[in-house]
Amino acid sequence: MSNMSQYLWLIPFLPLLGSAIIAGMGKNVLRGASHWPCILGAVGSCVLSVMTFMAVQAHEIPLLDEYVWFRTGSVGDPASVQVAFSLRADGLTAVMLITVTFIGTLIAIYSSSYMKGDPAYYRFFMAVSLFLAAMTGLVLANNFILLYACWEGVGLCSYLLVGFWFFKPSAAAAARKAFLVTRLGDIGLFLGILILWSQYGTLDYQGIFQHASANDPYLGIACFLLFVGAVGKSAQFPLHVWLPDAMEGPSPVSALIHAATMVTAGVYLLARTMPLFGLCPDVQAYVAVTGAFTALLAALIALTQTDLKRVLAYSTVSQLGYMFLALGSGVQHERLATLAVVAAVFHLFTHAFFKALLFLGAGSVMHAMGDVIDMRKFSGLRRVLPTTHWTFLIGSAALAGFPLLSGFWSKDEVLLTTLRASQNGPYATLYMVCFISAMATAGLTAFYTFRAYFMTFWGPEKIPAEAYAHHGHSHAELPEKPHGHADHGHAHGGHGDSGHGDAGHGDAGHGAVRLESGEVMLWPLRILAIGALLVGIVLGPTHLFAHFLERNWVNTPDGFPVSMRTDEAPHPNLILMIGSGIFALAGIGLAYLAYVKNPKMPAEMMNSAKRMYGLSRNKFYLDEIFAAVFVRPLQAFAHLCRVIDQMVVDGVVDLVGQFPSMIGAAIRPVQNGLVQFYALLMALGVAGYLLAVLVR
Amino acid sequence: MTSRMLQELQARIGQDLTGFLPELILSGAIVLLLLLRFVPGLERRHLGWAALLAAGGMLYTSILQWQNLAESASISLFSGLLVLDTFAIYIKLFLAVFALLVVALTMMTGIPDGDDSGDFYVLLLGATLGMSVMASANHLLMIFLGIEMASIPSYAMAGFLKGRRQSGEAALKYVVYGGGAAGVMLYGISLLAGKFGTGYLPDVLSFVAANPTDPVILMGMVFLLVGIGFKLAAFPFHFWCPDVFEGAAAEVGAFLSVASKGAALAILGRIALGLADVPSLMIPVLAVFATITLTFGNLAAYAQTNLKRLLAYSTIAHAGFMMMALATLRPEGAGAVLFYLAVYLVMNLGAFAVVAFLRNQTNSEDLRDLRGLVSRAPILVACLGVFLLSLLGIPPLGGFAAKFQIFASLFESAQAYWNAGQTNYGNILFGLLLVGGLNTVLSLFYYVRVLKVMVLEKPLEEVEGRESKPLAVPGWQNAYVIVLSVVIVAMGLFWNQLSQASSSRGIGTFQPRVAQAPPAQGAGN
Repeated sequence: MSNMSQYLWLIPFLPLLGSAIIAGMGKNVLRGASHWPCILGAVGSCVLSVMTFMAVQAHEIPLLDEYVWFRTGSVGDPASVQVAFSLRADGLTAVMLITVTFIGTLIAIYSSSYMKGDPAYYRFFMAVSLFLAAMTGLVLANNFILLYACWEGVGLCSYLLVGFWFFKPSAAAAARKAFLVTRLGDIGLFLGILILWSQYGTLDYQGIFQHASANDPYLGIACFLLFVGAVGKSAQFPLHVWLPDAMEGPSPVSALIHAATMVTAGVYLLARTMPLFGLCPDVQAYVAVTGAFTALLAALIALTQTDLKRVLAYSTVSQLGYMFLALGSGVQHERLATLAVVAAVFHLFTHAFFKALLFLGAGSVMHAMGDVIDMRKFSGLRRVLPTTHWTFLIGSAALAGFPLLSGFWSKDEVLLTTLRASQNGPYATLYMVCFISAMATAGLTAFYTFRAYFMTFWGPEKIPAEAYAHHGHSHAELPEKPHGHADHGHAHGGHGDSGHGDAGHGDAGHGAVRLESGEVMLWPLRILAIGALLVGIVLGPTHLFAHFLERNWVNTPDGFPVSMRTDEAPHPNLILMIGSGIFALAGIGLAYLAYVKNPKMPAEMMNSAKRMYGLSRNKFYLDEIFAAVFVRPLQAFAHLCRVIDQMVVDGVVDLVGQFPSMIGAAIRPVQNGLVQFYALLMALGVAGYLLAVLVR
Repeated sequence: MTSRMLQELQARIGQDLTGFLPELILSGAIVLLLLLRFVPGLERRHLGWAALLAAGGMLYTSILQWQNLAESASISLFSGLLVLDTFAIYIKLFLAVFALLVVALTMMTGIPDGDDSGDFYVLLLGATLGMSVMASANHLLMIFLGIEMASIPSYAMAGFLKGRRQSGEAALKYVVYGGGAAGVMLYGISLLAGKFGTGYLPDVLSFVAANPTDPVILMGMVFLLVGIGFKLAAFPFHFWCPDVFEGAAAEVGAFLSVASKGAALAILGRIALGLADVPSLMIPVLAVFATITLTFGNLAAYAQTNLKRLLAYSTIAHAGFMMMALATLRPEGAGAVLFYLAVYLVMNLGAFAVVAFLRNQTNSEDLRDLRGLVSRAPILVACLGVFLLSLLGIPPLGGFAAKFQIFASLFESAQAYWNAGQTNYGNILFGLLLVGGLNTVLSLFYYVRVLKVMVLEKPLEEVEGRESKPLAVPGWQNAYVIVLSVVIVAMGLFWNQLSQASSSRGIGTFQPRVAQAPPAQGAGN
């Protein structure tokens, strides 16, 4: 294992190779087998990631630092900057690698069934493979330039995949929105990198971390700008608006990119640069408040959404807010900063499992329902989609923070970190407010998660007509469904109608027409469900995760200048655990009451708090506010620019374009082919030069 | 006593000959090629392989010299007539690589045929020999000899398409023009040598630096620059260039446009850096020279429809570009030129190669006949696109890296002059930077127009209702241009190695001199 360093480049390279193969041969040669290069690349990359993980576990830091890409200035000049293709895997990177490649492998397998029959099958896997390459490169990068390159790479893949069905106007618009909004953040990231470069004269993490000190005047600004980049990529307020729209992409993409991996790049960035952020308590307070506020806001919006995937999208925004809250709590001393990173990355890790599971489950539902994803149009699917149902249940429970499931443990660590940060320091009160808000959000999370779960899988069985239209084609060999007309009735039957007599009857009939997804899609669900059940309890209370990260990240040379290295384990706070458990159970119970026991309750609640409901339903009008404040003025400005461009700039360009050709035509006769004339001009030229030199 | 002197002499001659080994290999090959004509059975054989071997031998020995010579070493050969330093070796490497590639190109295009191949390669290697003498010339006499040794075979090569009237006309113009330029230069050399009593370049330059206002010396310098300007095809000594390129075969054009410019720039670089202490003399002259050449080349290229003429003007403009960097009189500028030359070799050769291949297929070099060519010869047109965009300087191609280095050296030098209080020179160089930027924009139009015609317009046959057939481009020719395009892309992406060779090792001999220059100048004032 000692020579893992030499193989590090293979981790991004294998998916990249897969992507290149699919790009070259997918359309004409591979066709329906286009998923193989992607899956094989992901599996190979996953195996190498596990090997890297084991190397790190054996207290090694694989580092590949041989190839110098370019340098500025001359050799030996102290101001010159050398940028290398430098890859490095410490504990943090190893955890990220495992997450990305493992989830990536499962999702690639799932997609091979989910995307079957799509005319652009190969294009999907090309982009997914490219994404895996860019994402693994992002976490392996050992300097800011390489990080930034991969950061843009994942953004590009996200754009390609959100707009995968670009012929749908909504998908094209969503892709554009995702790209532009995240670009806004990327500008911040880039400026931050430039400031760090100008201040410390290097772009390597280690170099910057070693030189940074709390007194640097520009450090706070640089950290804030890095945070702006993270806000864009990880969909935090106010740049969160792109993520819900990004659900226009295929569901596996939502699971891979917009839940488990890419959106966590911002969390990774902040965790990676914690040695800098830890020095800026003001920025950290801002990070924490942004995280807490985003968590609460997104949870409130999720309460009333009716699109299953959008609920999950807002929940992703909310959970990412938790991670930022944890990261922002890394203040005062290294110990707390370490705990903050551990909590955030642990939550990132568990979240990757259960959120990918939920999105894949939603994809499975969508697949079965003929691409209908509005929860008002279906219900009671628990018998129709048995495997999807129980895996979704586990995912929901984990997200809701149901005691002992994975989300419970990691959320608890986040809360604990915030609580600790609120015990002293100048921003103690602020962190207390954040903590209370996060507790409330935990309750909301449980409620909206189970609202979605109950709306989908409980209640009277109702299946939209599209489901059969869809399956009628793909399962032509199955006997014609007996209840075609009845289904129609269901589809138009409105919602909240508990008195449907033939619900149970229809059930048996639908059973014959198998709506549940195939095994290729179900196995990833099962595996992720096991993960969602167990990773928390295996890694959380045993401190395996925390110890791994602490040992292999913080105690390495690039970590903090560790002055306070105690072996104090993060004591689980029992009262806190019980408290958050109660919040979760209360949320679940309320959802049960409102959506199973007493289906009229939501409508009553809606009527009694119309205002609030409307606000939440319309996402607090943030999109509209954005449109009014940014989009429309910019559009007007763009229009103006266009007019100026056409009238003035184009005119000038045309003029400039004609000017040289006019001169060209004018000087052409000079080259008339007569040697005598040439000789004359040459003599004149010599005379001219002589005159110029002598008379001067 | 005498025997020891003899031994010493022998040893020195041995050393001189070792340093002269690349040129000796060329000379041997020239003799061999002439003699091979008399070997029965070889009279009509294509002798490209012999030329390849000679160029390869030159390359190999130059690489050995490059590896073994210390970075700041400067060995004088033949009692100071020639100098061997990394700068000269870099140029010789450049010439050897280029000769190798051009011979390979001529073997693919069939110009010359088997009958003429011996003569052609004698001329080609002879010109290369002259150029490598130019690269290491350290004496006014050797400068003249080198330029003439390079020029005379070039005249014959220009007229090598014996059946074509244009070709003969081109050769004649070239001879007349070259003769005139050589006369002027020789006059300048005799003025300088007569004034100083020596032709040893370092001495001459230091005398010039000591009397920068003496009219006779100035006249001598200007006349010397005329000869170099002729090899560079700098305005107003460029008139031969478009006519010769149009009349001569594209392969010859490729050779003249790259190799003779490289050698001429080597001489100019030696002179410019040798006069670094008197910026008042050299910077304005070179700046004006470069500006006019660059702008004229770009403007005149507009109205051209013949591809070879267009490329001829483009090479004039590129010469102006490289002269701009030399106008800095600083090693950074020379390093940028060395880098530029390496990239320019590949992209210009590539462009001429595509023209030659297309001529073989279509019998035309006129842009109007090449409309819509992309559907008929996609690989050639795609590669031509790479070469032209690289000539234009679009990232991530090599041409961008090269232009970037030129601009960077101008900017750094301008700053250095500003910092040293010589504001006007800083301003001139900054002005050159602007001129270079503007000219890059200017050149956009005509380079892209070629691509527009080839890609966007409909083929002539289609317009006339005939079927347009794909050109039967041989695989070797496609492979040749593909390899060159890949090199261009690689040069644009990974230029660290090359720029270290060019900007640190290649200008090794110039570095310390300039480092010592400011105190010396301060003491003088």
